[in-house]
Amino acid sequence: MISKGATRNSNSRRIKFARRFVSALLHMRNQNPRPGSLSIEGSVRTRSQRIKIAAYLSMAQAVGSRRAWSRAVLSKLGSRARRHMRRMGRSSLGSLKKKRVIRSYSPGELGQAKKLRQLVPGGETMDICSLLEETAHYITCLATQVKVMQTLADNFSK
Amino acid sequence: MNRALPEMLHCLSGPGNGTDMTVLERQRTRVKWQHQEQQNYFGGSEFVGGFLEPSQASQVGDFQDLLGGGGGGGSVLRDVMTRSVKPDPGLESGWPELGRYELPDLGFGSAVLMNGSPTGFEMNSTIRRTSSCPPTEAQVAPEAKGKVSEPAEKMNSAVGRESFKKRKADKVQNTKVVAEDDAKDKRSKVCAEEGESKITTEQTRTKNTTTHTNNREISADTSRENSKASEVQKPDYIHVRARRGQATDSHSLAERVRRERISERMKYLQDLVPGCNKVTGKAGMLDEIINYVQSLQRQVEFLSMKLATVNPRLDFNIEDLFAKEIFPACSANFPTIGSSSEMTNPAYLQFNPVQQMVACCGLEMGVNTPDLMALRRTISAPVSLPETYFDTSCFTQLQPPSTWDADLQNLFNLDSHQGRSISFPSQPFTGSVEASNLKMEI
Repeated sequence: MISKGATRNSNSRRIKFARRFVSALLHMRNQNPRPGSLSIEGSVRTRSQRIKIAAYLSMAQAVGSRRAWSRAVLSKLGSRARRHMRRMGRSSLGSLKKKRVIRSYSPGELGQAKKLRQLVPGGETMDICSLLEETAHYITCLATQVKVMQTLADNFSK
Repeated sequence: MNRALPEMLHCLSGPGNGTDMTVLERQRTRVKWQHQEQQNYFGGSEFVGGFLEPSQASQVGDFQDLLGGGGGGGSVLRDVMTRSVKPDPGLESGWPELGRYELPDLGFGSAVLMNGSPTGFEMNSTIRRTSSCPPTEAQVAPEAKGKVSEPAEKMNSAVGRESFKKRKADKVQNTKVVAEDDAKDKRSKVCAEEGESKITTEQTRTKNTTTHTNNREISADTSRENSKASEVQKPDYIHVRARRGQATDSHSLAERVRRERISERMKYLQDLVPGCNKVTGKAGMLDEIINYVQSLQRQVEFLSMKLATVNPRLDFNIEDLFAKEIFPACSANFPTIGSSSEMTNPAYLQFNPVQQMVACCGLEMGVNTPDLMALRRTISAPVSLPETYFDTSCFTQLQPPSTWDADLQNLFNLDSHQGRSISFPSQPFTGSVEASNLKMEI
């Protein structure tokens, strides 16, 4: 799994993510003229959540559709999903869920596997084997995400 | 034919009689039976009718059912084999599941059956040859051991004729072993049904289990010959060698493959997650992995809050943002850029639009552009007050959710109230950033 091409892939992924994320931040900044209506805490909170969504979304877009977790994130946060959700209300998201897959064989590690499934996007309908693989890739992407965001935060801070 | 029949009937009719027959006589009857079988299959279903004539209907009624009234040889044998496999507690798995992993190995049987007559007869002969009544348990074991060599050659040749299977001799032994199980089970089943009406089903079941355990021993012996454990990849299926002293059951083989895959992935994860070396065992490592993922997600949330406080203070123009874009990719710590000459990656040279930035991404970070200077100036000033406020606020507000799903759901709820619309660029932008075109809908 670890190959020499991985570092190149990770670098390009990092660049893509950084680009998208910065552009989203820019856009958010431009679109945010009114400070006075909400309290500072509230506005910070909403903005931070929006930034977080932007981060996950840009990471998933940088990865593409190659990974199951990125596909899950994109389907969840994709434009179609959002439009759909806005039109039909929040209950439609339940219908978007895939049917439950009965995972028969996972002896002895049910509790942790369940937790891991909840953590990794798209992990509900996977068996342990692919879940571990997705977790590994997800961890690498999260790490790059954190690094980029850290650098950005350091740069932007006064 | 008629000469051998009474002997065979003797063998089939009672359990006690079998002890009288010596091994040689049994082999003789077996050979004669085989010849007759071959004649029969050439000539049609005469043999079945002929065999049924002198015998008592009740005893061989089941056998008739098994033979299926002299249908095609392949289907008959398949029926026989499946029927023999079913009641055996050892081979519990259903046939298709068995076929998933073992069909390549066992498949020479069914493949032989399906291929056509000549190889089918081979299989018939081998099965018939091994079919004889096991009178007592004591005699079963040596008998079984004696029979191992006989069908081995036959099966070797049958397998050798199968051109689509390229296997080494060890594999053939494996297949022979597995086929042995089936053959023996079938034989015991057939004899049980044919002759021994006095023996109850429980006894036959115990016999089956004992024969199966004997088979297990044999298979363990033969698997010991395959002391190497290796995995040969094929396009359709994976061949797994039986390891030394381990069972060659299809279930256990599949389990072993799965376990190996899982352990491989766990090792990879162990390298990824820092601090995982101290913990051993799957449970502990899974806990570590879960903690690590949770901590990473919490960090993302924390950083997003940080960026939210800092965001309105963005006063840079686009080229500065490009610089920021590149520098996070280049190095982790921007303030240390002057000192460190990190990261010389040719991938960065793809950034054409900003030449100075490209130059910056080279070895020396000492290239001075007005933008860079501006950046350095801004960065050097520490953030004091907003940070403290931010830290306290975020630690009170931060409730890291256990699921990423619920987290984003909350965000949806929140934003749908406000009705903002910010959309995301669908394509990676190449050159300039046009804020007006960017829209991210939430």
